Amino acid sequence: MSDNQKYYAGVDIGSAFIKAVLVSHKQIMVSRIVASGGNYKETARRVLDEALSKAGVSLEELSGIVVTGIGAESAPFRARQVSDVSCQAVGCRSLFPSARMVIDIGGQFTKAAKLTPKGRIANFLMSEKCATGSGRFLQVIARILRINIEDIGPLSVKSQMPVEFSTNCAVFAESETVSRIAEGAKMEDILAGVHRAMAAKVAMLVKGLQMEPDVVLTGGGGEDAGLVLAVSEALGVKVLVPEQPRLTAAMGAACLAEEEKP
Amino acid sequence: MPFAGIDIGSTMTKVVIVDSDGIIVSSVIGPTGAEHRHLALEVMDEAIKKAGLAFEQLDFIVSTGYGRINVPFNDKQITEITCHSRSIRELFPSARILIDIGGQDSKGIKLDSDGKVVNFVMNDKCAAGTGRFLEVIAEALGIELTQMGDLSLKAKKYVKISNTCTVFAEHEVTTRLTEGSTIPEIVAGLHEAFAARVVNMVRSLGIEKDVVVTGGGAKNIGLVKAIEDKVGFPVLVPPEPLLTGALGAALLGRDFVARGVTPERERRLEGVTFFK
Repeated sequence: MSDNQKYYAGVDIGSAFIKAVLVSHKQIMVSRIVASGGNYKETARRVLDEALSKAGVSLEELSGIVVTGIGAESAPFRARQVSDVSCQAVGCRSLFPSARMVIDIGGQFTKAAKLTPKGRIANFLMSEKCATGSGRFLQVIARILRINIEDIGPLSVKSQMPVEFSTNCAVFAESETVSRIAEGAKMEDILAGVHRAMAAKVAMLVKGLQMEPDVVLTGGGGEDAGLVLAVSEALGVKVLVPEQPRLTAAMGAACLAEEEKP
Repeated sequence: MPFAGIDIGSTMTKVVIVDSDGIIVSSVIGPTGAEHRHLALEVMDEAIKKAGLAFEQLDFIVSTGYGRINVPFNDKQITEITCHSRSIRELFPSARILIDIGGQDSKGIKLDSDGKVVNFVMNDKCAAGTGRFLEVIAEALGIELTQMGDLSLKAKKYVKISNTCTVFAEHEVTTRLTEGSTIPEIVAGLHEAFAARVVNMVRSLGIEKDVVVTGGGAKNIGLVKAIEDKVGFPVLVPPEPLLTGALGAALLGRDFVARGVTPERERRLEGVTFFK
């Protein structure tokens, strides 16, 4: 670490993954993503330690930390807490200055935020009541199809004839999937059908906020090419996806830590 | 003169045969399964045999339930709302609200003082508030669906289940278990959450005495008690709550014959070997 280089950390404690990002001059220097597990405190400490040692910096040498995410309360280090919606907005705007909407599809929740032209949060909606609007839906279906989550996207985009589920309920879709497989439906068509059901739910959130392009899609959902395609189709615009869509909130948190200190 | 009603639900197929006085002469409950037509015939055949009849002797056959179009040998198809209300009018003339909790849907039906349907609400879009909710969670808890009622009565308090979604509630339940809650407390909590959802849906109809609960859900004593807690007074449950749809269908067949209504179509039995 050079003498004048200052590092700022952002830690995002999510329900499925904990992410840590170190930035300097708002550029990501190092990042770590680890499955949250049952003990947020322990995992959060480990994720930050690993990021720090990768950068060759000690905790004391950090110039600032901001923590965010559903588990922000369990941060094992002293840090300012900022809501994940705010961090997500900051992270997305630093990558896409034209962003006016941010959709975050996480393991448990889907959130949509509308930004003002200056990047402030104008309004925000969240889907937390129903598994259809979250990564859980894909986990449920992937379990039946016996495939890995990473394989879902590449398979889904191959679909020519997406299956249409009679309801968007993840539980009913699960049993419908079983009967569709028995009827000979292709795996890619089932997955594309699930993506469409999820996209319909996402579109409902976005509609509630009145869509304004550009739209950025973050979270684990952003890594799923099939879901990105389905959301783009449902919204009628091509959504933008960061290179590392799971890191935007942590990155925004780190940028906020940097802004705070001169 | 015998009349038959067949109700193909999402999980169970039910047949009721009544005589010219509307008295039940036989009834059979079988699983629905993937092959509706085949099972419909199997269950119908059993009911006919139990009644000591032959298929040709049935004066009218009405099919109902979500699989009602898959009965090739019926004389008429009627929605389950109409069928349920027909039998409830017979069983409980004082009923104003009927709550039917099926395997994959739940319904609320409002009846006027003549037993006619005034309004209804239905949920078949979301597994919460349907039999599937309890089925999924019974599996997660490693208990039988049929045990849930008795189990929940053992609980002195219930665990609040905050998630509506079945998928999330399944996860919540396993978390509560690891935190030390007992299975009876959790099951009682599930019934409370279930009852809250169903009663909230029915509230839009205006809840009035008497309330009747039917369907598989009515066989769960814990769920029935939770519904009573929510509506604030005792509810009525038929002796065999799974049969109200099929009974209503049979009674409607009897009404049709009395009014001189002729079958809508010809009974098709081709390819059917059961009755030969």
